[in-house]
Amino acid sequence: MLAFISRSIIQKIITLFFVSVVSFLIIHLAPGKPSQVDPLNPKFTPEVVERFRKEFHLDKPLHVQYLYFYRDLFTGQTVSWKDNQSVLNKIWERFLNSLPLFIVGTILTWTLSFPIGIRSAIFRGHIYDRSTTFFSYLMISIPGFFFAYILIIFVVTRFHVPVIGMETFGLGDAPIPHVLMDRIWHLLLPSILGATGGIAVLSRYVRSQMLEVEGQEYIRTAKAKGLPPELVHYKHALRNALLPFVTMFGLILPGLIGGSVIIESIFSWPGMGRMAYEAILARDYPVILTVNFVSAVLVLVGTFISDILYLVVDPRIRL
Amino acid sequence: MTVRRVLILVPTLLLLILLQSYFWVPTYEQQTRGNPNRLNEYIAGSIGDAGLLNPILSADSASSDIESMVFEGLIDRDEELRFRGRLVTSWEIYEEAFFFINESAKIPGLGVSDPQTVVDFIKKAQKTETIDIPNLQDTLANIVSIQVLPPHEFSITRKVQDPKDKSENTTIEINVAAPAEIKLTLKHVDQNLFENLAQLLGKDYFNSFSGTKYLSFHPQVETKKMDTYAREIIPATKHNPILLFHLRPNVKFHDGHVFDAYDVKFTYESIINPKNLSPRIADYEPVKDVEVLDPQTVKIVYKRLYSPAIGTWSIGILPEHLLNSLALKKEAHHHGVDAGTFTMRQSSFNRNPIGCGPFKFNQWKSDQYIALDRFDDYWEGPPNYNRYVYRIIPDLLTQEMEFYAGTIDSYNVQPHQVGRLSTDPRFQNFSGTSFGYTYIGYNMRREPFDDIRIRKALSMAIDVDKIIDYVLYGQGERITGPFIKQTDYYNHNIQPIAYDPKGALKLLAKAGWNRNRAGWLEKNGKKFQFTLITNSGNDLRKAILAVAQDAWKKIGIDVRTDLLEWSVFIQERVDKADFDALILGWQMGIEPDLFQIWHSSQTNPYQLNFVGFKNEEADDLIVKIRQEYNHDKQVRYCHQLHEIIAGQQPYTFLYVGKWTSILDKRIVIKEIDSNGHLYYQKIKPTLTGSYSFHFNKWIKLPEAPHFMDEG
Repeated sequence: MLAFISRSIIQKIITLFFVSVVSFLIIHLAPGKPSQVDPLNPKFTPEVVERFRKEFHLDKPLHVQYLYFYRDLFTGQTVSWKDNQSVLNKIWERFLNSLPLFIVGTILTWTLSFPIGIRSAIFRGHIYDRSTTFFSYLMISIPGFFFAYILIIFVVTRFHVPVIGMETFGLGDAPIPHVLMDRIWHLLLPSILGATGGIAVLSRYVRSQMLEVEGQEYIRTAKAKGLPPELVHYKHALRNALLPFVTMFGLILPGLIGGSVIIESIFSWPGMGRMAYEAILARDYPVILTVNFVSAVLVLVGTFISDILYLVVDPRIRL
Repeated sequence: MTVRRVLILVPTLLLLILLQSYFWVPTYEQQTRGNPNRLNEYIAGSIGDAGLLNPILSADSASSDIESMVFEGLIDRDEELRFRGRLVTSWEIYEEAFFFINESAKIPGLGVSDPQTVVDFIKKAQKTETIDIPNLQDTLANIVSIQVLPPHEFSITRKVQDPKDKSENTTIEINVAAPAEIKLTLKHVDQNLFENLAQLLGKDYFNSFSGTKYLSFHPQVETKKMDTYAREIIPATKHNPILLFHLRPNVKFHDGHVFDAYDVKFTYESIINPKNLSPRIADYEPVKDVEVLDPQTVKIVYKRLYSPAIGTWSIGILPEHLLNSLALKKEAHHHGVDAGTFTMRQSSFNRNPIGCGPFKFNQWKSDQYIALDRFDDYWEGPPNYNRYVYRIIPDLLTQEMEFYAGTIDSYNVQPHQVGRLSTDPRFQNFSGTSFGYTYIGYNMRREPFDDIRIRKALSMAIDVDKIIDYVLYGQGERITGPFIKQTDYYNHNIQPIAYDPKGALKLLAKAGWNRNRAGWLEKNGKKFQFTLITNSGNDLRKAILAVAQDAWKKIGIDVRTDLLEWSVFIQERVDKADFDALILGWQMGIEPDLFQIWHSSQTNPYQLNFVGFKNEEADDLIVKIRQEYNHDKQVRYCHQLHEIIAGQQPYTFLYVGKWTSILDKRIVIKEIDSNGHLYYQKIKPTLTGSYSFHFNKWIKLPEAPHFMDEG
């Protein structure tokens, strides 16, 4: 066990190093320049551009820039080129904004998918199964942004309530319950949008896993010995169908930092995804690379956690 | 079974919590829910964020929106676009004119005369009531005082670039022994003064004056250059229009400091200070001097006749005590930067402005909002709203949604939405025509566009009304000339050219273009063929491009079209006048000064008369318009100019766009009448369509009121 953990950690650190090198190179190879050093920017004279280049170490060779960047990152000194604010602080602030969306979306997805998927597995081929299949594929194939706009237009024109942003604008002096409820209201649409996509995909997996398990002989045995159907499906079958979801659960962790670029942009939600997207547009290398690095770390941590969870869930696995 | 119950109950509960919050959120109908202060604030939406909040440095519209609230100018324009005093109570416009004694010219009936004789001669003429030379009598009556300035000597230096070696500068010293000069003070500005005086002093009295002999150069320069210098240093005649502003007493800046004449002078000096790189510098170039007579009086002397200059004093006045060199030095020291390179541009004032406008600056969150608070000491009385918030929402659909939800108070309607939203009973709507127009311009240097018949025929072949109906969804009006339609400079007697393809063909036939067997127009075996271009990224122009191409094809003209990226379009084609015909638009100010766009001297590369319009009569009128200080005369000249340009058709004038804005119906004008009674009034737009003219009196009511005149 210990041997597995230490081996895995060493492997992951090596992976991380390669990820950092490759992402650094890709970003510097990408066309376009940060606006501060773009010679086409009319706001700056060549001298100013030169000064910025020096300040950002852009005049140094790539490997030196690489070292500078990761030195700053590990000592927590990286600053955004756009506004000179500490990148880690910025990410933390945005992370807190994205967190409620993530939590609500995840809870909805990882609860509702199971009853929906299991039921359609049980009634395979029936009208219920067919309609959930239809709606799942509908939700998967409609682009998220389109669905988001339709939903926004419907809610706003029907109920005349603000839905965009994290809170109603100008609600500054309102009493605390109002502010709190207002925030909860603004969570509704984006988290439902996030969840519907997730449920559509996840319930498909649940269905196919359950179908596989339901055909097993021990399920027939359980049914034959007269157990109530619910107990059969939700205890005997579900437990054995859960295994692949352990992997998937490990992988939702990076979603924390990736956030949802599209939904956050449409709803003007000042979250992580939108920050990363705007940083890419502005070629704000420190922000892009830090987000990239943190999400790489989270992916690796996620896979590590799911490896450990396997041990817990499936006693047959011994590492 | 618990697992199943949990899996269903948890999300259901969560959704219920989320859904019930709906009852706590303010809706459009109940904007005060949980937030009673909502009625006291106005929230505006904008696509872009402001740059610098400093009226002399900023160049974008978002910044000027905020500046118009925070800063106050000396004057602005009232409901009918006439000037109105803001920081000034009144002003006078008069003139000081100068001319040098022409020592070689003979005055009819006097011969060669010394200065005093000339003065006496003019004075005598003033008293003579029976002068039957037209206009001269008015001109003489306009002269308030005549004064002789004795001859004086001075010397100046000029730096000249060596034609052979461009990096070498030679300094020329010029000694001037100026002859006696006569100074005339006039009641009103009179651009015809010398023209009329010449009838008294002899036709060539002013023309034949040559200053060259009063100058001596060291080192010597060519005779041609000498004349140029002479005209510049001692011109025969000189007009110095003067603006005398009487400032409003006891006006305060937001920090309590009292506004005075030194702030005006300081604002002017900051604009012309090359270190500040003010984009407004060109407007103030004609100013010769700004003089503070006393803390309540400023005298502005101009180098020459330039009537658009009056309007430039609507610029927001800066507080001198916060931005003068001493204050800037302190700030530079505070930030620990070199005071030598620290200018107003770097000052934190630009993100924290202080003016004497109706709202004072409170907070600016980049890319989110700018919040202003009511200024209680505003000279005209504080506005009704406590707060003005300028939200930055780049996405138009989001803006629209926020408006429906009541978190923005006004929305600029897109043309295709006008039909639906302008009849919505929940909103009040306003519309008007914008200050600008769209046109097709022809390169008059090229054949066959040098022929007026061709240009007319091309205009006749296009059905502009159809463009307005289908491309603009009816949100446009026809325009016939280069002036703003709401102003009185625009000549409403001129009818737009009617759609008449048959008439166009007749005109073309007269010009020698006839249809060949394939249906194309031909002259001397050459097909009528040209390229119509415009910039990409503007869907309206793209649509017009297709409409025009199709319309001209119908009468047998082979039109190619091309869409070019904006910078390529401007730099490669427009600036170099390398095009046949193009679609473009002009945005204009109210001033009727058309010099840059229509004067024949502006037809060179990189100038704005890129169609190459040259017309002597028009040139004369354009110069007269910018030199005329009398509104009625200006209007008369403008009407004539409008007629000439419409007749020449260097452009096919297409349309001026219409805008529509909708506003929450609960927003009304709140006023207190002379008896102290409070009353509400519906918001009425001014003649030019500006509905926010009385913004300071606006307030939002909890319920939409019913007004008597609505029935």
